[in-house]
Parts: sequence; C-alpha cells; structure tokens
Amino acid sequence: MSLIKRKPQRRVAVIGAGLSLFMRRALDTGKELAYYAASQALQTAGIRLKDIQAVVMATAPDAFDGVHMKGEWLLDGAGGVGKPYLRAYVGGGSGVFSIISGWMMVASGLFDLVLVVAEEKMSSCQPHPQGAFLTIFDHTIERPLGPNLLWIFSLEQQRYMAAYGIRNEDIALVSVKNKHNALAHPAAQVAAHLTVKDILDSDVVAWPVHRLMVSPISDGAAAVVLASEQVARRLSDRPIWIQGVGWCLDTSYWGNRDLAYPRYVEKAAWMAYEMAGVTEPRKQIHVAEPYDPFAYKELHHLEGLQLADRGQAPEDLARGRFDRTGELPSCPSGGLMGVGNPIAAAGLMKICELFWQLRREAGARQVPGNPERGVAQAWGDLMQIGTVAVLGVR
Amino acid sequence: MTRKSITNVSQARVWRGTMPVQYLYTAGVAGERFFQTLRRKGVFAVTTCAECQVTYLPPRLYCERCFADLSGAWAEVAPSGRVHTYTVVHEDQDGRPLDPPQVVAFVRIDGTSGGLIGRLLHLRPQDVQVEMPVDAVLAPPRRRRGGMDDITGFAPRRVLPRRRTP
Ligand SMILES: [Zn+2]
Repeated sequence: MSLIKRKPQRRVAVIGAGLSLFMRRALDTGKELAYYAASQALQTAGIRLKDIQAVVMATAPDAFDGVHMKGEWLLDGAGGVGKPYLRAYVGGGSGVFSIISGWMMVASGLFDLVLVVAEEKMSSCQPHPQGAFLTIFDHTIERPLGPNLLWIFSLEQQRYMAAYGIRNEDIALVSVKNKHNALAHPAAQVAAHLTVKDILDSDVVAWPVHRLMVSPISDGAAAVVLASEQVARRLSDRPIWIQGVGWCLDTSYWGNRDLAYPRYVEKAAWMAYEMAGVTEPRKQIHVAEPYDPFAYKELHHLEGLQLADRGQAPEDLARGRFDRTGELPSCPSGGLMGVGNPIAAAGLMKICELFWQLRREAGARQVPGNPERGVAQAWGDLMQIGTVAVLGVR
Repeated sequence: MTRKSITNVSQARVWRGTMPVQYLYTAGVAGERFFQTLRRKGVFAVTTCAECQVTYLPPRLYCERCFADLSGAWAEVAPSGRVHTYTVVHEDQDGRPLDPPQVVAFVRIDGTSGGLIGRLLHLRPQDVQVEMPVDAVLAPPRRRRGGMDDITGFAPRRVLPRRRTP
C-alpha cells in the first residue's frame, strides 16, 4: 500500500550547513548557540539573513533550557525576527523533523529559501535533565511509581536482547564504534578510544544499560539552509537534494508497543523511501545516520530503517559492516554517543553530516567511494516517533 | 564548521531558577472506573474493542485504532501476567545511587493487549526471568484508596495458580 498520495513536484535542496561545538556546559545561551550555527549555514550557502524568507526552529522540551515557550524565546538567535517562523517539535525527533517542516514550506511553493535551526541547552536543567522527563509519564497510572526515562530504555533494550538472544557485549560495540568515529569530528564532546570492556566496566545505570551506553548531557546547535530547485542551482554548484521524508507516531502507551522492533520507524522509512524511489534500501543507501541516544538504539533503528534484518544488526556490527570503511557506514559522524546529544541539534547534526558526506567535504570522517544517497533518522516524542529524511546528490 | 570560537566554559557563571507550578490531575472517566474496581474487588477493569480485537489496559473510553466508543465494553481480569521485560535500577532520577537497586518490570496482563509497570517483589534480581508468571501484590482491601499505590508490586506466582476472573 502506498504511504503517500503523490510524489511532490517541487524539489528541495540543502545548500549550506553549520554546527556549534557540542559541550557539557556552554557559557553561550541557547540563542547564541543557535546564532553560531545559523550564521555558518548562511555563510556556507553564500547568502545573508535578509535573503531568508522563513525560519524553522527545532528545540525539544521547554524544561531543558528552563524557559517555558522557548521556541519564541529563541526567535532572534534563529534569525526569525520579522519572518514567518515555526517551531517544529516532536521531542527527540525534532532535529530531523525540522528539515521535514522546512521541506514542506519549500515543496509547497510558499518559499524559495528557508533557514532551519535546531538548539538545545540541557546543562541548565538541575540536578539532572532526567528530571524534566518525570512528567512525561501518565500522571495517574505511571507517575506514582517514579519512573524515569532510563527505566523505559533499559526495559526496551532488555526486551530487544531477550527477543533475539543478543548479548550486552554486542550492544556495547556501538559505543566503541561511535566514540571512535567522533575522534575525527571537530565539534565532538565525548570522543574516545575505548574497548567493549571499558564500556561494560562503567557503572550500571539501570541494568542492562551502563553509563557509557548512554549519550551525554550537551549544549549545542545546528542549522541548514533549504532552497527550491531553481534557487539552489543558481546559488550552489553542489546542492544536496532532499529526496524523501517520512514520519510516523506509534501509540502513546509504551506498554502497547512492540518493544523489540520499532514499527513506527519502519513506516516512516518506507514513506521516505517511496518518495525517494528507493526500493532496495540496502543497495541504494550508501551512508546512514540513525539516531543513537543509547547504544542499542542505533541497532534498533538500523533494523527499522530496513538496513539490517530484525535482530541481526548486532552481528552485522560485529563483522564491521557499519564501520566508516564498511559496506554501509553508520554514524560516521560519531553520532550522539560520540559527538554529543543536545537533543534537537543532534538530529539536525545528522543531516549536516549527510550534507558533508555527500559533498565529500567530511574530511577525516569521509566515507570511502562515492556515496550518492544517505538516510538520517531521529526518534522521540514519548519514545514513539520515527522521523526520516533521504538525501542524495541527484 | 565551528569557525566561530566558543568561549571558555569553565567561567560560565550560573543563576538559579525554578518553574514553580503545581497540578491537580483527574484519573479520567475510564481511569476512575479502573481504580474503583481495583479498590473494591482487587481486579483490573479493562475495555475491549471487538472489531480491532484489542483489550485495553489501562482501560480506555475509546478505541485508539478505530475510534469506537468503548464506554459499554467493560470486563474484568485477574491481576496476573508475565514479565515482558525488566530492569535493575541503580540510580534515582537525580543520578544518586540506589542501594539496594530496585527491580522494575513491565508486566503484560493476561487476557489483555496491555500491561503495567511495577516493582518486582519477593525475589532477587538474578532470579528474574523474561516471561515468568507474576501476580499483583495488592494493599489489604481496607487500606486501598483507589490509586496506583493500591498495587504494591508484582511477585512470582505461587505453585497453585489462582482462579482466573472472579
Ligand atoms: Zn477498534
């Protein structure tokens, strides 16, 4: 069954990208971080703020920055003053959803040049940003137990392991790969040379999740410039095209979801693939940036994205298939586990990485060969959304 | 990328602030019936969409798949199920160590499409197994107040299984 009514006629390209450093606590405010990333994206696109017709800002829960209605508060840092401005918000999925929202603005014919910015300043939230998540659970059924996000992820990882007979060592390899990949990323916060033993020797947060299987608390911002086909061809000699977008939400009751397999990611991926004309993802996708806030999540998401068989991603990882020089490089940026996880900005960082990889501007992180098409994915809301974008050189 | 310098983070002075608001929540129409049933009878009230073949626990007033009205589609099930997955929590929500660690499970309730999270009681962390049968441990009837606290947790099922739906 087709997931889209018809393929949109107006093509949209990414023509510039920018990123702040990701770090534990920035002196810079969220607005300032957004400004760094946005002004770099404009600069690399060769345009100025006055050329931008509309702005999308993605930023996750207000409780992180501790500013209620922070989308509005961040307006000036995102370059949105005096322009049509939209806060794109689907929790952790917001980073990739931000270019989906910007894509809609350009594909619809409303605008030719749209600036997309994502920001998060998690260090403000005390004593730990976990606290901001206590109120996402059902106030009557779940909250009396005092659940936090780590419980839910640990429960999900445990179910994934039990369903397919996966060992914690297999999952720890994700941390090893991504923290290693991040050594080549100039914005990285938690890059390191580590072994599986180092990962499993770190403290248990909520078994089976160890400290080094969790992405860090980060401040940071990312931005891209989107252009219509005509404008992109005028401004850029190497536009990177948004070939397909997709998103899907599963039930808000996490107890009613399939914890071993993210069906909503699969549905979002097929929507994007259908739009992009991708029928055999494993052959037609050359580089992937799946969302990896927790080590097991990259594997979960690679399976949902149809880039590995169900329960087989750990085995593929172990034999090097997802290494930067492997058959299908996954998180060559270093991902959230290595570069850092300022929530919405981390998702858009993945789009920036595809932009650089497909233009072969990724420097020491460049994947070999001539990658022509990549997929980026983020995940969030109440652990129920998949947001997917397929980018390519044509 | 990252051309503009970002300043020395060690000198970032901070200001304290809170967002001081409090809330009064209702359990909802379906939630109220669930808790009153739990308080009076010690069983779980659920709703079923016959068309979608889904039995909702926690119960819902409508089917989220087809939007059918389920306000007349109530049933009751025994508070028993299977450990679908579990975790051993070593630190609290503020990152402080928990000693001893707590075992928390998601329990799929028999005869339903859903389940509940709860503490696992009367067993050691190393003895927990996925799919092991458990029964809810409820507060004594006179101490139940019609809230989640009425469920103390879940414990391994006794050798002789209890009778199903009363
Ligand atoms: Zn139904």
